[in-house]
Amino acid sequence: MLFPTLTFGLFFLAVYALTWTIGARSNEWRKILLLVASWVFYGAWDWRFVALLIGSAFINWGLGYLIEANKPEEEDEGKRRQKLLVAAGVVANLAILGFFKYFDFFLGEVAPLLTEAGFARDLPLLQVILPVGVSFFTFQGMSYMIDVYRGRTRAASLLDITLLMSFFPHLVAGPIVRAAHLVPQFRKIPKLDRGMVAMALLLIIWGLFKKAVIASELSVNFVDPVFFDPSAYGSADLIFAAYGYAVQIYCDFSAYSDMAIGLAALLGYRFPRNFDQPYRAASLQDFWRRWHISLSSWLRDYLYIGLGGNRGGLFFICRNLMITMLLGGIWHGAKWTFLIWGGLHGLVLAIERIWREIKPEGWPAVPKPIGILITFHIVVLGWIFFRAETFNGAIAFIEGITAWHGVASIITPLGVGLVLLGMSMHFGPPRLMQGMAMRLRVIPAPLLGLMAGAAILIIDGMRYEGVAPFIYYQF
Amino acid sequence: MSGHGEFESPVDLPRDGVGKRPLGWATLTIFIASLFLLVTNAFTIKAWVDEQPAGPTQARLAGWAEEWLSATEALGLNKPRAEMHRLWKEAQAARFAQPPEGNQR
Repeated sequence: MLFPTLTFGLFFLAVYALTWTIGARSNEWRKILLLVASWVFYGAWDWRFVALLIGSAFINWGLGYLIEANKPEEEDEGKRRQKLLVAAGVVANLAILGFFKYFDFFLGEVAPLLTEAGFARDLPLLQVILPVGVSFFTFQGMSYMIDVYRGRTRAASLLDITLLMSFFPHLVAGPIVRAAHLVPQFRKIPKLDRGMVAMALLLIIWGLFKKAVIASELSVNFVDPVFFDPSAYGSADLIFAAYGYAVQIYCDFSAYSDMAIGLAALLGYRFPRNFDQPYRAASLQDFWRRWHISLSSWLRDYLYIGLGGNRGGLFFICRNLMITMLLGGIWHGAKWTFLIWGGLHGLVLAIERIWREIKPEGWPAVPKPIGILITFHIVVLGWIFFRAETFNGAIAFIEGITAWHGVASIITPLGVGLVLLGMSMHFGPPRLMQGMAMRLRVIPAPLLGLMAGAAILIIDGMRYEGVAPFIYYQF
Repeated sequence: MSGHGEFESPVDLPRDGVGKRPLGWATLTIFIASLFLLVTNAFTIKAWVDEQPAGPTQARLAGWAEEWLSATEALGLNKPRAEMHRLWKEAQAARFAQPPEGNQR
């Protein structure tokens, strides 16, 4: 069930109506209703994986409960038991993730090595189907358990944890909402206010436009054909497709986040911001403060800091950055291209860090526009690896650009317009939409309803026939 | 790595008591928007019904969707969407002036 479809629209209208009628009387029933709705939403892909979702929630709830129950009075024994429980929880969660995401990849990579070493065996490739959103709900469950261990959040009820991990607006592609942020909101029936509603409607409509119009058009008519066979296109087309993909992935992923935040807000819940004009970043460190914020903060809090963070000197900081980004890359999937994408980001983050440490005093800083330009092109280079099906495909793509041959054959005025529009979103006033929502919240409901309906109608007139799944559904 | 402010929500606007009965206001807004789309976008409704798995219910719904499309077309209510779609198709078909054939790969 994809957000920008009539099926989802009807589903959401039913959930909205039930949540604010039956669910307005009892918070427990409200949460049960949202939980069942979330399972229906997830089951629309594959009912079998609803059991996985429930099982994962049970594991994390149970471990969270046990970790809190073993809170050490003094030190030693309780702490040791807690550590063991956290370790068991991390292993259990990583086992789920590892099996579904990496099992076949691992065997596929190991088989040739075994053959070379003289151990030719038929390895049991299982053709494992990847459950939608498994990386997101697994990370969410892990962060809950670790936060209970660290004392950042209290162990919550089974209903709250199951709903935290299953809540349909963010279930399949984030944002990764922490227990400390969402569980307190589950404790009472939320209240709407007009600003929240106006902002929610704006986010949903804006997300619909970014996904159904910009991302779909760029994907189908420009990016996909060029990445499918880079050798058939000239350098200008390749450059355009690379910029096009940078805009496409932003419009696709941020659209999902915007709609998720908007839908949750209409049900009364606040989700954190996940994107903040990432292509205006003047350094890669700045980029990661603006891109997929909920993942980058997750990696920082549960991986980078766990590895030692900024302690231990420059070498260890760079090592930790590199490991974090390599694992961040592989989180996206079992492909060498994701690893190279993560490695590139890790390397540049490490170089930025080294430069900050060794830069002679009095040297001028890089002017901001140049910093933005350099950062953007490093990010685009990374996206080529991220998008390419294979490492060789990415190299062929880059060689095609540097060969500088051929003329543009696919670039159209509409394509250029959409890329420019997608880029301009990063350089407007940062809180433009909040300003618009402040004005919309005083408009009479019938007028606002007509405006919203007209906006959706315009988008529907422009949208590409059919809706492609969001890019991040595969992660 | 991400910095502070990651738990700020975009829907956090100043709560200065603007507007009464926000739930009623939100519900009426959604209702009017849905109604507007129901009468101006019968084409999409028909296309959606046609995509559903075939069966007696689907056949009955398809009949209603067809009738609804005819009724709204007779009143000209589908024209704004059709016009928007036509303009969009024109924009998709637009091309830059092409260089001579021999320069292309």
